[in-house]
Amino acid sequence: MRELKHGFKIDADKCNGRMNCMRACPTHSIRVKNGKARLIPELCIDCGSCLGVCPTGAISATTITFAELDRFKFKVAVASPALFTQFGMKDTPAQVGLALLDLGFDAVWEYAVDIELIDRAIMDCVKTWPGPFPLISNSCPVIVRLIQVAYPSMVEQLIPVEAPREIAGRELKRRYSQELGLKPEEIAAIYITPCQAKTISILQPAEEAKSYLDGAVGISQVYNDILSKMRRITSIGDTPKGLMSSGELLHWGPPEGEFPKLSREHYLPLTGLTDVIKVFDDIEKGKIRNIEFLECHACQGGCIGGNLTVENLYVARSKNLHLRANMPKPGSSFEKEVERRYAVEDFSLRGSVKPRRIEGEVVDLRERVTRRKRADELSRALPLLNCGLCGAPTCKNHAEDVAAGRAEIGDCVFLSLHRIDILRTFYKK
Amino acid sequence: MAAELLRESFEIQGRNYDKAGEVSGEIKVILRDLGIEAASLRRLVIVAFEAEMNVVMYARRGTLTLILTEEDVNLEVRDEGPGIPDIELAFKEGYSTASDEMRELGFGFGMGLPNMKKNSDELKVESEVGKGTLVVAKIRLNSNA
Ligand SMILES: Nc1ncnc2c1ncn2[C@@H]1O[C@H](COP(=O)(O)OP(=O)(O)O)[C@@H](O)[C@H]1O
Ligand code: SF4
Ligand SMILES: [Mg+2]
Repeated sequence: MRELKHGFKIDADKCNGRMNCMRACPTHSIRVKNGKARLIPELCIDCGSCLGVCPTGAISATTITFAELDRFKFKVAVASPALFTQFGMKDTPAQVGLALLDLGFDAVWEYAVDIELIDRAIMDCVKTWPGPFPLISNSCPVIVRLIQVAYPSMVEQLIPVEAPREIAGRELKRRYSQELGLKPEEIAAIYITPCQAKTISILQPAEEAKSYLDGAVGISQVYNDILSKMRRITSIGDTPKGLMSSGELLHWGPPEGEFPKLSREHYLPLTGLTDVIKVFDDIEKGKIRNIEFLECHACQGGCIGGNLTVENLYVARSKNLHLRANMPKPGSSFEKEVERRYAVEDFSLRGSVKPRRIEGEVVDLRERVTRRKRADELSRALPLLNCGLCGAPTCKNHAEDVAAGRAEIGDCVFLSLHRIDILRTFYKK
Repeated sequence: MAAELLRESFEIQGRNYDKAGEVSGEIKVILRDLGIEAASLRRLVIVAFEAEMNVVMYARRGTLTLILTEEDVNLEVRDEGPGIPDIELAFKEGYSTASDEMRELGFGFGMGLPNMKKNSDELKVESEVGKGTLVVAKIRLNSNA
């Protein structure tokens, strides 16, 4: 199996073994042994739940630094719509775009066009899809990974359409290489991301194709710089590259969901991992009928609630509504560009998403059943308190780890009292 | 028949809509964690859920038994209930004796038995009016990878 990359790293020196991450992880992918947290990579879905809860800041998102971009001749920013909701009520997307240019990007992509295109591609795909329903959006990488790990029987319901950020990367490379006479690999397509999950979707796409993007920079990483640069830009006419119109950066459709035009009878927008999991449980049983498309986001409130955003979700949401209500609609050139590209581009997903092979599957079914039975027996000896002192988030996980040969049953303090003294050495002040 | 690897039974309570679907949820987790491949898992969960719902809707109580071999997954769902007078009719798409109340809850489209048939490799229904019903389903595993 190829090595799985993840969107964050745990700094062992900074880790104090406080277990907040282990308790926050929805897929139970973290263990804390000898006072240090570590990951079971196969189970991690890059949701970032661990990131915000670490009291010592030992877990950080992997995004790229500006220095890494120097190897490109032309750098283009593709800004998540969430970026524009992070600033003051009077700050327009065009101003934010200018600040990005000031920061060193050579261009800011008119991303609203790509969003509109994928919106259409999804509608067309839903119309001709033979089933099974509902189709599920794939633009949130956490949702894709959740399905690969916990809902393997639903992978074929992930919509086989590219994410808008990918086709933005493809088109901007095509356009600028033509206009500037550069090779596509000399052009950097950089996503300004609300989460580390999208970084990882660029490094290692779930569909096993190569991403058209070259990296991602977190919103929180550029927030301060944008803020200070934006305050210095007095009027939009000031800059030679000031052709940007807000409506081409931020889509003007209704705020819920990423895809503005999908009709509400056809689709259901869902946000927050807990709610998504509830609905997925029902889908798996065939309990959900009459719904054709689910747009799912792991973060509560969608990408404006992403863990690399700065503004709190509710303020960002009101900012979003305000922007959309007051922004000029893009002109006829926008519609023309959408028409032109829709006619010539292919939006179907390259590659396919498969269930993720979990570590235990290296052994045959008989051995897996034996381990399960053993884990059941073992868990009868455990207090079912889920105290975490053994280093696993639940007693059940501990029993499974022991059955799989990953841990010693005696790591449970109820079975070996002296474990407390060992733990004391890791947790003494 | 291939050697049995695992056998587990679960109780299903009739008329308990609140808990309806929990048993199929549980067996899905067991089989998923055992790494049963996606296509078989998908079919199995649908069959288990429909069978569980029929016990919940029509019977007093029942038991679902999961039997895993190296070649297939078998479900035996036995209930104490009214039984099915005409099994052939019950298998007709859209045929349902569900009450309005059940339909309001989103059940009773008359697609349960047809879907179970479609999603299993073998399906057998035995029933005795006034006593109960036995549903036996077999889903072959595509590979034991
Ligand atoms: N376990 C059962 N006990 C009694 N009757 C049943 C049972 N399962 C199915 N039936 C009968 O068969 C009919 C069709 O079942 P099914 O195809 O699952 O559709 P539905 O449950 O939506 O009515 C039911 O309406 C009911 O009359
Ligand atoms: S909802 Fe958006 S911000 Fe959150 S993880 Fe998914 S893609 Fe990232
Ligand atoms: Mg039914």
